Amino acid sequence: MSYQTHTVAPEDVMALLDGELSAAEAAVVSAHLEQCAECGRLAAELRSTSQSLAQWAVPAAPPALDNSVLESARKAAGKHKAARPIRTVSLSFWNWRLWAIGGGGAALAALLFAAVVASSIFRGDRPTAQRLGVMVYPQVEQKEAFAVSSKLRERTASEPVAPPPSAGIVGIAGMEQDSLQSASSAAVGKARVVAQSTEEKSSSAAGAAPMIARGVSLSILVKDLAAARPVVDAILARHLGYAAQLTISDDGSPRNLQASLRVPAPELPAALADLKTLGRVTRETQSGEEVSQQHADLVARLQNSRETEQRLRAILEQRTGRIDDVLQVEEEIARVRGEIEGMEAEQKALEHRVDFARVDLQLSEEDKARTKVPTASLSTRLERSFDAGIDHATDSLLGIVFLVEEFGPVLLIWLAILGLPAVLVWRRYRRVKARG
Amino acid sequence: MEDAYPAFVLHSEATKPPMDDMPGNTDAAQFGARFGEDRTDEQLMVAFARGHADAFSALFLRYKQPLFGFFRRRVSDPALAEELTQETFLAVLRAGSRYQACALFRTWLYAIAFKILRAHRRKAIFRDMFHGQAPAGHEPAVESGVATEVLMRQAVGKLEPLDREVLLLREFEQLSYAEIAELLGLPLNTVRSRLFRARTALHDLLAAPAPIENLAETEERA
Repeated sequence: MSYQTHTVAPEDVMALLDGELSAAEAAVVSAHLEQCAECGRLAAELRSTSQSLAQWAVPAAPPALDNSVLESARKAAGKHKAARPIRTVSLSFWNWRLWAIGGGGAALAALLFAAVVASSIFRGDRPTAQRLGVMVYPQVEQKEAFAVSSKLRERTASEPVAPPPSAGIVGIAGMEQDSLQSASSAAVGKARVVAQSTEEKSSSAAGAAPMIARGVSLSILVKDLAAARPVVDAILARHLGYAAQLTISDDGSPRNLQASLRVPAPELPAALADLKTLGRVTRETQSGEEVSQQHADLVARLQNSRETEQRLRAILEQRTGRIDDVLQVEEEIARVRGEIEGMEAEQKALEHRVDFARVDLQLSEEDKARTKVPTASLSTRLERSFDAGIDHATDSLLGIVFLVEEFGPVLLIWLAILGLPAVLVWRRYRRVKARG
Repeated sequence: MEDAYPAFVLHSEATKPPMDDMPGNTDAAQFGARFGEDRTDEQLMVAFARGHADAFSALFLRYKQPLFGFFRRRVSDPALAEELTQETFLAVLRAGSRYQACALFRTWLYAIAFKILRAHRRKAIFRDMFHGQAPAGHEPAVESGVATEVLMRQAVGKLEPLDREVLLLREFEQLSYAEIAELLGLPLNTVRSRLFRARTALHDLLAAPAPIENLAETEERA
């Protein structure tokens, strides 16, 4: 049937029968139907089809439907919400919108989390590894320290207690050549000696474990500085340490104590834990410097110098010659001897740095410290918070950029790996759906 | 076999079936029917949103059979059709407090029913895809032995899915072109052209009916 010569479209005939035309349109189509037999047949066909479809009846709804729904309606009318259905079609699991919203939310949360983590990692100019090294070093050193700890304790228990060499700074000049002495501060009143032979140090230096000189900077707010001072001394005594320098200032400003403590490396974690009980820790910095190579070079140079000294002495004893030559050899021996003593002193200082960790302690009285903090004005605080907000936003953006740079290629690879199966599954889904 | 009801012609003030003949009527349902005698669907829904359970009973009685027919013509399993009908009314209950009388209740109701039907179809597709099982069901028309219904289902099942949906919504749910367009998310002219195409195709199919065959799969597609 061709409708190309008709003034009305066949869909208009159908719309007339369905009552979907306006009065004016209906009048036009009705007038056409009266004149056009072809369109009249079409209308008859459409009516016939609808009448045929009307024969498609369905059975009455089951009576059980009434009870379950009306019971729920009564509950819902009271609570303005429906009770959970007994038999339900779990729409939520298949609802793609929920999946999309949930997936999008999870992705957003992951992105925010990644931005926060990335900003904290990449903040500042130092590389990540270098920043992390501050935290890694103490852990490595701690393992080494525990290995040495037992030796130190055994020697401390067996050897007699020696008086402190002097108050204040304890230098290496007062120590014997083959032993390293350390003392607690003079204020403690009693001292202990932790000694370890140079041979042991040399052997330990030659071992696999690196030699690390540790340093800790600790700032603590205490309530009462006078009460904290003896506690510091007691901690030093307990952990076989000493105060290399200790200064207390009370000049009107908040009283504070600054001390440079030396604590045996194995005792450092325990000593730090004890020191932190003094008050609220406001700042803590730990560092570790590996001096293994430096120590090995020093030992080698020392060995060479000693051999040179022995050869010179042999020449002096075995050879005879003019007095000028003898004097020249003796001068050379004196020069080499001086070098040896300098290097030995340097070696001991190095080993002392490894054996005794440096703790820079600063104690401030809490109440006074608080009162000295000036209260900023509202405009200043707003300005500061605005600056901080800009900084944080910049850090976050930079973090995202760094993150994309670092993980973007990997994500692309995984996208390629996972994307192909996903496309195949989606195509299969579409095929099954198209089949019905 | 229960008595078969012809498809109702629905309007906002829908013709109510004779209450005394409805199986499984309860006192609440009868009271609900009296409650809603002179009220439109939208007025009843607003009354229900304000806490009148009888208003919902009246709506339920008006639309129980049409909604069951809606699902019954689209799924093969009668129990599943009943379940989907129940789920639709429960969804109406849940959404009752949020209902706003800015659209016809009938359109709103069939939109909910259509969403539930689509969810069921998605589940069936996934089941078929991942478990290799076709949805369980049997052909009630074959059991009833009514050959005209079987032929009708067979012919409708051969239409394109979207054409078939447009045709069923128009013929049995009596939705206007605009309502169908809104429900299916199609332009109005597309609804017109698809409906015309479906009707002419169905006329041709009914003019030369195919032999009766197992229609379970065809029913599921419908």
